[in-house]
Amino acid sequence: MLKRLAIAVAILGSLPALALAHGPSRQKVTESIEINAPVDKVWAVVGNFQDINWLPIVAKTEGTGGNDVNATRKLTLKNGGIVEEQLDKYDAEEHTYAYEITKVDVKVLPVNDYSAHITVTANGDKSTVEWKGAFYRGYMLNDPPPELSDEVALKAVTGLYKDGLAALKKKIEGGS
Amino acid sequence: MRNFARCCAAFCVLALSGAGSAARCSEALTTNQPADSLSFVDLATMKAVAEIKIGGKPAGIALSPDGAKAYVTAPDSKELVEVDAVSRTVTRRLTLGGGPLGIAAHPTRPEVYVADWYAHKIFVVDTKTFAVIADIPVGQSPSGLAVTPDGRLLLSADRDSDAVSIIDIASRARLASVAVGKRPFGITVDSDGLRAYTANVKSDDVTVIDIAARKAVGKVATGRRPYAVALARGRGFVTDQYGGTVTVFDLATLRPLKAIDACDHPEGIQADGAEGNVYVACWGDDFLLRVNPDTLTVTGKAVVGDGPRAFGKFLR
Repeated sequence: MLKRLAIAVAILGSLPALALAHGPSRQKVTESIEINAPVDKVWAVVGNFQDINWLPIVAKTEGTGGNDVNATRKLTLKNGGIVEEQLDKYDAEEHTYAYEITKVDVKVLPVNDYSAHITVTANGDKSTVEWKGAFYRGYMLNDPPPELSDEVALKAVTGLYKDGLAALKKKIEGGS
Repeated sequence: MRNFARCCAAFCVLALSGAGSAARCSEALTTNQPADSLSFVDLATMKAVAEIKIGGKPAGIALSPDGAKAYVTAPDSKELVEVDAVSRTVTRRLTLGGGPLGIAAHPTRPEVYVADWYAHKIFVVDTKTFAVIADIPVGQSPSGLAVTPDGRLLLSADRDSDAVSIIDIASRARLASVAVGKRPFGITVDSDGLRAYTANVKSDDVTVIDIAARKAVGKVATGRRPYAVALARGRGFVTDQYGGTVTVFDLATLRPLKAIDACDHPEGIQADGAEGNVYVACWGDDFLLRVNPDTLTVTGKAVVGDGPRAFGKFLR
C-alpha cells in the first residue's frame, strides 16, 4: 500500500498532465470517403474478410472461415506487428461487416477491446465507404502513461482509417 | 398475479388496457458518454425533448423510487451526479474517487449503491446528505448492481472475479459469492426477486442465478459481448455489443427465441414494467430503440446524444 502510494506520488511529481487523468471510457472514431466506383466494385475489394491487403500497413493476411461469422484472420504488418481479428457480423446484401481485434500488442496499436464496422453504401454511381471503430485506450486502469492515453489511441485509429481509406480509393479508382 | 408496485417502480403510471395492464413509463434518460450529456426521450412520441450537460463521461444511471431524481456515475471525473429529472437540472455532485460505474437505487431507503471498478468495493451513498456512509468490499471490478424488489439484498456483478456478490443491505454483509460465466457485466433481478441474470461479456452467455439458493441454475448462449439483460413478457432480452443484436430467450425454458437485428453496439436495456416495451441504448448509432416484446421487432427509434450507454435503470 505504502509502496503503491510512493509510486503514485512519484508519478504525480513527474507528470503535470495527471490532473486530467481518469478511468477509461470507450472511444469512437468514424471516417468515410467517397470512391468514384459503383458499390459492387468497391465491395468486391472491401468485402473479402480474408484479404485486407488494400490497407497499406498490411504485408500479409492469413485466415480461416471465409466470410462466415466467427471467421478469423491474422494480419502481419510491414513493421512486423501482428494483429488477430475475428468476424462478428457479415451482410453481403447491405455491404457491411463487423469485426473485432482478438489479439494485439499495445505497442502495435495502442487500444483495448477494439471492434469496428466497414460499410459501403451506393451514392449514385459512386460509393461511400464508412469505417467506424469502438475501442478503449491502451491502458485500462486510472491514470494512464502518456503513450497509452485516450488521445494517443484516438490519433492512432483515426490515422489508420484515414490512410487506409485513402489507399482504398486510390487502388479502386486507379483501376489496379 | 402481478405486483405492479414491484415491477417498473411506482413512478411509472399504471395503465389498464383490456385483459392486461402494465406500468407505463413516460421518459427514458440516456447517459451519452462521449457527449458528456444526458438525453431525455419522450416515450409516447419517441423523440428526445432535452439534453443536459453532465460532464465526466457519464455511464451508469439509477432513478430514485419516486422517479424524480436520476443518479448518474461519471467515471472520468470519478463523481456521482444527482439530476432533478423533473426540472432537468444537475442538483448535486459528489466526488467518489476510484472508478464509479454501476449504480442502483434502493426501493425504499434513501440510498444509492455505486460500484467502484478499481477498489473492488461498493459505495453506499445517503441520498439525503449526499455523502458516502459505508463501503462494502466485494469481488474484483464490480460493474452492474441490482437490488431485490423487497429491498433486502444487493447483487453485484464482480466482473474480474467471474462471480456475483449477494449482500445483505441492512447489515452491509456480503453473504455469498456465486460463480457465473466469464466477465459478468450487467445484472438484472426479476420482479419477484427470485432470479438474477448476468450478461457475461467474455463467455458470450447469460447466467441465471437462483437468489435464495445462491447458485447458478442455468445458462443461455448470446451474441458476441453481451452487455445487459431486460425481462418482459416471460422473455429475456440481451444486448450483444459486438453482434449488434438483441438476443431473446424464453425465461421458463431458457431456449433462445430470436436474435433481433438492432444497431451498432447496443448497450443499456430496460423493459417498461414486466409487460411493456423494451428500450435499448445504441452506443454506436446514437439512438434509443424501442422493441415490441411480443412481435420481437423494432418499433421506434429516437436520436439522442453521442454514445448513449444508459447502464442501469433509465426509465421513469
